[in-house]
Amino acid sequence: MWPGGPVLICAILVLAGCDGPQSVLAPGGEDAFVLANLFWFLLAGAVVLWCAMNGLMFYVTRINPRELSERGAQALILWGGIAFPTVVLAGLLFYALSIMPEQRAEGDGGLRVEVTGEQWWWRVAYWPEGADEPIISANEVRLPAGSRSEITLEADKVIHSFWVPSLGGKSDMIPGRTNRMSLAPTVPGLYRGQCAEYCGESHAKMAFTAEVLTPEDFAAWLDAEAGPAVPPDTALAREGRAAFFAEGCGACHAIRGTPAHGRVGPDLTHLASRATLAAGTLPMTGEALARWITAPESVKPGALMPGYDHLPPERIAAMAAYLEGLE
Amino acid sequence: MARPGVEDGPEDRSLWHMIFAPTVWAVHFAVCYAVQAIWCAKIGGDIATLRVVLVAITIVALAIISFFGFRAWQRWDYFHDRDYIHGGETDEDRREFLGHTGFMLACLSFVAVLYVAMPFLIIGSCI
Amino acid sequence: MTDISRIGGARRRRDQSAEDVLTPQGIYPPTEEMLAEPVDPELRKAQEERLKAVWDEPPGWRYWSAVNNSEVGVWYSLTAFGFMLIAGVLALLMRVQLAVPDNEFLSADRFNQFFTMHGSAMMFLFAVPMFEAISILLLPAFLGARDMPFPRLSAYGYWAFLIGGIFVMGSLLFDAAPSSGWFMYPPLAIIDEGVGSDIWLLGLSFIEVASIAAAVELIVGTIKCRPPGMRINLMPLYAWYVLVVGAMILFAFPPLIAGDFLFELQRSFDWPFFDPERGGDPVLWQHLFWIFGHPEVYIIFLPSIAVAAMIVPAAARRPMLGYHWIVLSAVGTGFLSFGLWVHHMFTTGLPAMSLGFFSAASEAVVIPTGVQLFAFVATLMAGKVRMILPMLWIAGALAIFTAGGLTGVMIALAPFDWQVHDTYFIVAHLHYTLFGGMIFPIIGGIYFFYPFITKKKMSDRLGRVSFWLTFVGFNICFLPMHLTGLLGMPRRVYTYPGDIGWDWPNMISTVGSFVIAAGILVFAWDLVRPKPKQGYTERNPWGAGSLLWSHDIPDPGWGIRSVPYITSRYPLWDQPKLLERIDAGRYYIPDAEEGLRETIVTSAIDARPQHIARITGPAWCTIWAAIFTGGAFILPVFKFYLLAGLSGAAAVGAVIYWLWTSTALVPEKPMKDAGLGLRLPTYVSGPSAPGWWGVFITMLGDMTAFASLVFGVFFYWTSRPDFPPPGSPHAVPLFVGLAALCFLAAWGATLFARTQNRRHDVVTARLCLGSAAILAIVGVGVLFMSVWMPGLAPASHVYPAILWGLAIWTGAHMGVGVIMQLYCLAGSMFGKLTPRYDADLWNTTLFWHFLLITGLVTCAVMGLLPGLL
Repeated sequence: MWPGGPVLICAILVLAGCDGPQSVLAPGGEDAFVLANLFWFLLAGAVVLWCAMNGLMFYVTRINPRELSERGAQALILWGGIAFPTVVLAGLLFYALSIMPEQRAEGDGGLRVEVTGEQWWWRVAYWPEGADEPIISANEVRLPAGSRSEITLEADKVIHSFWVPSLGGKSDMIPGRTNRMSLAPTVPGLYRGQCAEYCGESHAKMAFTAEVLTPEDFAAWLDAEAGPAVPPDTALAREGRAAFFAEGCGACHAIRGTPAHGRVGPDLTHLASRATLAAGTLPMTGEALARWITAPESVKPGALMPGYDHLPPERIAAMAAYLEGLE
Repeated sequence: MARPGVEDGPEDRSLWHMIFAPTVWAVHFAVCYAVQAIWCAKIGGDIATLRVVLVAITIVALAIISFFGFRAWQRWDYFHDRDYIHGGETDEDRREFLGHTGFMLACLSFVAVLYVAMPFLIIGSCI
Repeated sequence: MTDISRIGGARRRRDQSAEDVLTPQGIYPPTEEMLAEPVDPELRKAQEERLKAVWDEPPGWRYWSAVNNSEVGVWYSLTAFGFMLIAGVLALLMRVQLAVPDNEFLSADRFNQFFTMHGSAMMFLFAVPMFEAISILLLPAFLGARDMPFPRLSAYGYWAFLIGGIFVMGSLLFDAAPSSGWFMYPPLAIIDEGVGSDIWLLGLSFIEVASIAAAVELIVGTIKCRPPGMRINLMPLYAWYVLVVGAMILFAFPPLIAGDFLFELQRSFDWPFFDPERGGDPVLWQHLFWIFGHPEVYIIFLPSIAVAAMIVPAAARRPMLGYHWIVLSAVGTGFLSFGLWVHHMFTTGLPAMSLGFFSAASEAVVIPTGVQLFAFVATLMAGKVRMILPMLWIAGALAIFTAGGLTGVMIALAPFDWQVHDTYFIVAHLHYTLFGGMIFPIIGGIYFFYPFITKKKMSDRLGRVSFWLTFVGFNICFLPMHLTGLLGMPRRVYTYPGDIGWDWPNMISTVGSFVIAAGILVFAWDLVRPKPKQGYTERNPWGAGSLLWSHDIPDPGWGIRSVPYITSRYPLWDQPKLLERIDAGRYYIPDAEEGLRETIVTSAIDARPQHIARITGPAWCTIWAAIFTGGAFILPVFKFYLLAGLSGAAAVGAVIYWLWTSTALVPEKPMKDAGLGLRLPTYVSGPSAPGWWGVFITMLGDMTAFASLVFGVFFYWTSRPDFPPPGSPHAVPLFVGLAALCFLAAWGATLFARTQNRRHDVVTARLCLGSAAILAIVGVGVLFMSVWMPGLAPASHVYPAILWGLAIWTGAHMGVGVIMQLYCLAGSMFGKLTPRYDADLWNTTLFWHFLLITGLVTCAVMGLLPGLL
């Protein structure tokens, strides 16, 4: 056996990059911390056991291929193959079972976020404590640090899975069922989440930003998010708004404070305050908006939104300018 | 080789007897899962009663497995000739082999039933 | 020494009159003096000529009508290997697409077709068929049998596999391949437009049927076709694994077939089994799929470990240390693997306690799995190891599999799985287990068994080159994937952005994948390259101890020259003069006087000779049966229902022709000399007959499928508040009750027919069979009336749909039951079935036992359920 090469490569890789916006190994929440630690512990144990097993194999086949003690070999099966794993596995199982209820604990009661999986984007509704109706958003989940928020998960047509690796484990979104989970972020910052259950042609393009804010920032942001859209403040943007309604965009999209009440596509009220466009697929820039409006199919194959490549580029640029102003 | 007074019965030449213990494991597993699933879906709440029910089922399963294990151990009859290889061509080799394997399967099933009992001992809710 | 007639007599049945029961007569077991007696060389030569004439394969194009295991096994393995290469190319193309971020090498849709087909082909067209292919090829030799018990069934299975495989893989060429993942989760796979999902469901169901057929045959082969003396404790470990895996296939595949049945009813007729808006539940599919899917992993793993278990003793030059440990772990793994399926569903939101049960079983299965590996290491430790090439592959397999097993321990812990589920960590884990647990042992096995098949050796040098390329390439490709997954990359994404740290591990994996491909190519070249100048190997090139290596060189075609009396686990090591006596024809059935293919059938546990079975020879009807069965499965994909029905009828016709002309034929004499002073019956019926076992085992699988449907009913009840929906009509209890009575009467009449036939009361037997068929048809009619009369509309809600589903299932089975009754009736009329030669009637009765359970449970669910729920 020659494990040297891969092991070396792996060591370099691990040192170089456990970090990342979507990394299990760069935790920013309670559940993710517990699981990352569990992983490092399991990894250490696995490396030791792998080396022991294959070292022994190497020894008996290469270094010392003579007949060794049969009694010792029997003892190896009995102790190494049965007694040791039985005890160790029972210990691991005990630990894993004991952390399961914690990982799924109910929220503190402050906030419930309802996320619905669509093909291929996320419908997000915030239910602050005592709210009668939700604050609607899309493709971005913001959570307050320091408390455990309840997440309820639903799906429209097909199964999706909601996952923010840096905050905790995933949970599926299944049509006809309501699943629940909870997340307890601790480190404010920008994380990335992604759909983890294959959901059709553009499954790869179904991500979102998860931003953890301090409780104060979160409260302020939620207040702003609840408000109506800001009116356009440039001539171009005003032209863009007119085009938006003339082309019938409001039939599918909602912009609070305007006649656009569509429920088919994502809510655009505060579109420009989000970090990304098209469910984590494009940066939030005017250029990207124009590209998306012109040909969504080229960005996200199979997307429901029709392309507007028959419109003159100026008209699309105006619409992009309008949307870019929806802070 | 044959031990006087030991006559082959049907269970000495039966593969079915060898797999009784793991079958009990399978039934125990299925019953625990079904009872728990129905309880959480249709009754909910009272986990204490559920636990009592499942513990009782588990004790019964362990008792049955122990019984089969003991019968298999008798068939193995280890202390008679300390044979654990059973590579010979006689009725006794076959009987002891089936007993030995049946006994070990009973041990494995016993441990596996204990493993399966851990969830309802540790997790106290339908969450 | 025992007089064998005593043993047979002890099991005599009440209803068999004495003169009809033929039991083995003469001497068994043979004495050393008898074995030492030389064989007349003239006789030996004459015998060899007769054997050769009987076992020769048909010449020219008629070669393809061959059914012998040595031909079918080779075709089967090469076809499966071919599908593996195609699926491997798909993987390479996917790796190219993923080499760099935002790549446009493959479109999203094509990528999705590719990963769906990569998984489906590797599982259904390579891994499981490969096990069956290799077992069909090797098992008879391990057991000193001339062939499998039902050679035409193997051939039928092969042709079905070939047709189904080409159909499913061919869809790629028309850009119409399934693209919903190899797991076909609804609702995605249901709302999927085009024929992709139908191709998957029907094409693979067809192949699953073939797989079950092969499993039945392998189980019967292991239980009934061992050589005299090879008691259950002396069976080669390979046979133990075949037995366990065969049984697992029997209980694992049927739930998927039941799932396919429901799924296709929804695709074709919009019956809402998985539609939550009409009371269905997509999670039911996940249960049925993974009840199949997880045992499947062990169905793939265990046979490969079986191959390793044959190589390790040869390399260690000593018997396996802990034969019983291996049997324990094979049987234990077989059981425990059925308690793991929900670990593929850890993230579906089931209660933590439910997950806990499956987490516990997933950890428990590690114990028996580990024991096998430790037994191998311990054997090597206690032996004088030669590092022969096959052993190198096994050592590589252990290194890789251990890593996969250790990550398996991690992900069996549900909370950890919540993080890595459906990420590249899982991709890495499963490839570590499947390469280590399947590819490496199989390739090692091919190097090991190649001299048995072709009587030549593959190249040692190419083998080592191939090993190191594959081994190193594998680790370069898959080791970084653990990290890719932990960095958050989900599975089944056709592309990814470049700024989140996934680009370089993906690039490394792509490089590694091509190194693996190079290694596999070297192996493939070594496998198929012509070796004309190379001489034959010696007879037992690895110095192994199993009976398999007793075949002569060059291969005379008849398998084993005479079926030996076995007294050891490693007969070639422990039984001196064995080879010499086999070759001389000293042992059993050394001749083919009647010009018929024969093999010896022995008792299940102690392998006492019971019967000389006449087995079937070359035929075209099996190919026709496979083609028409294929039509019945494939034509509905394109909505040609009428043609499909006709094709199905033609398939039934072909099968009936095949059975009528070649099975349970009235022999020319009731007993014949088997050699060594033993006379055996040439015809048996009931539990001594392989055919009876075939029916019994098939029906166990069928019952599992039926149980899955009934499970579905109760699943809907627990998971849905509206089952049955308030105000819904129910099946008419009176009609349901009547149907149950009809089924009971039909069963009783069939049973009575068998008894009366044995008592030479042929007229009553015929009357009973006829009326049983009519009763069954009436019962089915009444059963359908019970759901049709109250206007239960299957497309409206899952409750009426599942009642109709049960009725169709039962109706179709009753249809088969009626065909069997009429077959027996015709047999009785035309002299194929007589009071003495009544195997068909025994098998039909056995089938009806199971049919009665199906019928009564269906009626109970339909009639009593509304009151209970």
